[in-house]
Amino acid sequence: MAEPGTALRGLGWALAALAVAVAAHVGKLPAWASVSVIVAGSWRYAAAQRGSRLPPRWLLTLAAVGALLVVIATFRTVNGVEAGTALLAVMAAVKLLETRAERDLTVLVFIAYFLLYAALLRDQGIARLPLLLAGALVATAALYRVHGGIALTAPVNVLSRTVALAWPALPLALLLFVLFPRLPGPFWGIASGQSSRTGLNDEIMLGDVSDLSVSGEVAFRVRFDGPIPPPAQRYWRGPVLHEFDGRRWRRPPAQSFPQQTVTWLGAPVDYQITLEPHDRPWILALDLPAAWPEREARSTYDFQVVARQLVTRVTSYRLRSYPAYIAGAELPTSLRNRDLRLPSQGNPRTLAFGRELALESADPMAIAGAMLRKFRTEPYHYTLDPPRLAENAVDEFLFETRSGFCEHYAAAFTMVMRAAGVPARIVTGYQGGEFNPLGGYLLVRQSDAHAWSEIWVAGRGWLRVDPTAAVAPDRIERGVRASVADAPALTRIWEDSRLVSQAQLLWDYVNDFWNERIVRFDARMQFSLLQRLGVDEPDWRTLGLGLTAVLAAFFVGVSAWLAWTFRAPQRDWPERLHRQAAVRLARRGIVRRAAEGPVDYLERAAAHCPDLRVDLLSIRELYVALRYGPAPADEDLRLLKYRVGRLRA
Amino acid sequence: MRRILRRMSAAARARMGAWILRRQGRDTDGVVLRRGRIYILPTTLGLAYAAMVFAMVIGGLNYGNNLGLAFGFLLAGVGLTAMHHCHGTLEGLALRLHATESAFVGYRVTFRILLANSAVAPRPRIEISTDEARAVPADVGAGATVESELSIAAIRRGPVPLGRYEVATRHPLGLFRAWAVVHPDYRAIAWPQPATRGRPPPAVETDTGGAQDRARGDDDFVGLKPFQLGDPLHRIAWKSYARGNGLHVKQFAGTDVTSYIFDWDSLAGLGAEARLSQICRWVIDAHDRGEAYGIRLPGTTIEPNIGRAHREHCLTALALFEVPAGHG
Repeated sequence: MAEPGTALRGLGWALAALAVAVAAHVGKLPAWASVSVIVAGSWRYAAAQRGSRLPPRWLLTLAAVGALLVVIATFRTVNGVEAGTALLAVMAAVKLLETRAERDLTVLVFIAYFLLYAALLRDQGIARLPLLLAGALVATAALYRVHGGIALTAPVNVLSRTVALAWPALPLALLLFVLFPRLPGPFWGIASGQSSRTGLNDEIMLGDVSDLSVSGEVAFRVRFDGPIPPPAQRYWRGPVLHEFDGRRWRRPPAQSFPQQTVTWLGAPVDYQITLEPHDRPWILALDLPAAWPEREARSTYDFQVVARQLVTRVTSYRLRSYPAYIAGAELPTSLRNRDLRLPSQGNPRTLAFGRELALESADPMAIAGAMLRKFRTEPYHYTLDPPRLAENAVDEFLFETRSGFCEHYAAAFTMVMRAAGVPARIVTGYQGGEFNPLGGYLLVRQSDAHAWSEIWVAGRGWLRVDPTAAVAPDRIERGVRASVADAPALTRIWEDSRLVSQAQLLWDYVNDFWNERIVRFDARMQFSLLQRLGVDEPDWRTLGLGLTAVLAAFFVGVSAWLAWTFRAPQRDWPERLHRQAAVRLARRGIVRRAAEGPVDYLERAAAHCPDLRVDLLSIRELYVALRYGPAPADEDLRLLKYRVGRLRA
Repeated sequence: MRRILRRMSAAARARMGAWILRRQGRDTDGVVLRRGRIYILPTTLGLAYAAMVFAMVIGGLNYGNNLGLAFGFLLAGVGLTAMHHCHGTLEGLALRLHATESAFVGYRVTFRILLANSAVAPRPRIEISTDEARAVPADVGAGATVESELSIAAIRRGPVPLGRYEVATRHPLGLFRAWAVVHPDYRAIAWPQPATRGRPPPAVETDTGGAQDRARGDDDFVGLKPFQLGDPLHRIAWKSYARGNGLHVKQFAGTDVTSYIFDWDSLAGLGAEARLSQICRWVIDAHDRGEAYGIRLPGTTIEPNIGRAHREHCLTALALFEVPAGHG
């Protein structure tokens, strides 16, 4: 039903739905996409208010083609969540300019639904939930506004009616969620678009400030089967960096090197790690990983556990590590050469310093000790906001600025070791973690990202050396926050406050619960839940049966609810009972006269039949109380029924 | 293409209607829509919605995205609830004919149908339609009764039956359309198309009364009588009304009673329909002038009289007149 003007019923609601849907992508959607929706939406709303004309068709075609080109130019594709979302958003903006009829409006609502869904593909955090439900509600309200009757105008009414309409969907969705069979793996591949998620990269650029160090986002959570290892052992191994070009440490592209033998010492640590999605394949295992799920992950020659697919959603792995080990007692020449290689030029002072150390002692342990001593005794400084470094970055750091964070120390240490002839490499990953007593797990944040070194010593294999520990021992024992001296005082008070940290722990516990129970809910958890509910051996048939039962219950329930919604008005029981009494009295010959009120009639009847006098006077009283009394009681109605029943005879 | 589709859908509707007629029989006046006679199907919008929800569920399953899956289930639940609601909006609705309005050929006859909602919840957006007519969607409030008008073009003289109509709704979300088919036995009358003015009315034929006949003639003023609907406006005693005595009509009596008989046979030389049209014109004009008239058709005679009811009586007789053989 196209209306001649530009005003359209439900337009405001559709705009609101789009606004919420776009807000769900805030920070992830390119600015031009959000802005185009906002501008087009405001313009369309103003046009409806003023009754102005919509732009001609050729302009719209131009806008649509332009929008498509901008998306392709930005993302080089229209596939994947990132590009798809941007495309949906700009198409909504174009559609807004030609929204003339109900049909166009419903297209907008559908786009809003899809945008909300796409927001879930990015992030399934619990914090998303309110926005998501609000978006779904407003979008549905838009549909309701279009089809729900003309008289309905007040936004509150539209919302409350929509809630009254749609609430049965919630329990149904919950039950379907629990019972719907899950797939073991995807039908088709997952398009990997550009990622904007924070996570560990496989390179270190000296002089760049890492954005990880200030991010409070959760990197992963770990549940230990046994006791939690002490802080000094909590090194979570990520990408190992071998190649150095004077400024940048890189992880070389996959090359094949022989796997090195490892001898495990002491007791193993078994644990389950739950990674937040970071769009990279690393699995952050406790140093040094010994066992991992073979189907989902593999290990590299430098002892890193790598998933076979990018970690794009919350994923759990069961791992086993040994804190004590002898890794790679023999070092093949190919590996040795590679971990001794230095750029042919640059950083001359560091090179000279390394060679000097080598002259003093041939023992790699002594060389490393001398280097650590240098860090400890000279005025080196741990800071998250180091001065910028120029051409000879390591030289500048080591001999001039002398302040930096883990990356600087690890990079400088590793380079000195190589210069001194000791095979060395950088290991990146995380160090530390905060124990959450509510959930009984260790929480590791992005700000716990760390870098350390490994040196190879004949007979003892690869040894972990953490030069940062020499400079800022607190970093290892108590975490980043404790070791940084230059944070603003107020921030520190805020962060150190007990209440706040308690609240943070609680919030993280809620998040963890959400991740473990909802986001990661799969076939295995489904079956174990059914077992706990008393199903002995749940299988697909149980699920099918359960689903059928749920749907049947839903249909019956909704029908009953609708029958109640569309019920006839309540019957006037006192009136009915009184009429019944009149019928019974008429059988005794006392017929109500045309002009006689109920009270007079009952009194006359009472005068005629002394045997029923008590009942009739009681009926009169109850009738008056029920019909005209201030607060009719159910009790009185029951009494009235009883008294009228006694008139039978 | 669209026209073919529309014709196909009209044919499908007719067949469907016939099937439903066999199923539930012809309705007498006053129908309460019960479960057994309400049909429901998704609309185009509903199919698109279903496709969207399906894509969301499949995507959620494929990517192992549990929240996406839950979102899909939520929307599926909304859709299914809306389906029940759509059905419930019709169930229990009572329909009956309020009035029919007849009209001349070339205009529209109207069926006024009452939609009565005895429930405590409103029933918005109830649409009544036939193949050719569509009423404005009516919002029937809780406990309310609303009139919905179906106007059908009067193409041919005679009865205009309303043998089938549909009552439907897309409430609440437009995803489903629930409908019921009613086969009433309503009919309105399409009166003959009046001939253009020109042919003078036939001469006065009868003088049925004398001076004492109060109902006839316009020579001598005999008194006032209270106004009744149908009395000619030009006889209202405005002066008396101005005095505050209420609406009265002046009554006349006289020997020169003009009272017409419009006779089929006086129009020899015209075709049957043309004769009916001419008589129709005369009836209208005579009524407007407040003159008494009667009609004489082969087999039917209506004695002269005045008033609205008489006019309708005559027009209906003209409309339903069956042309005898030989007058084609």
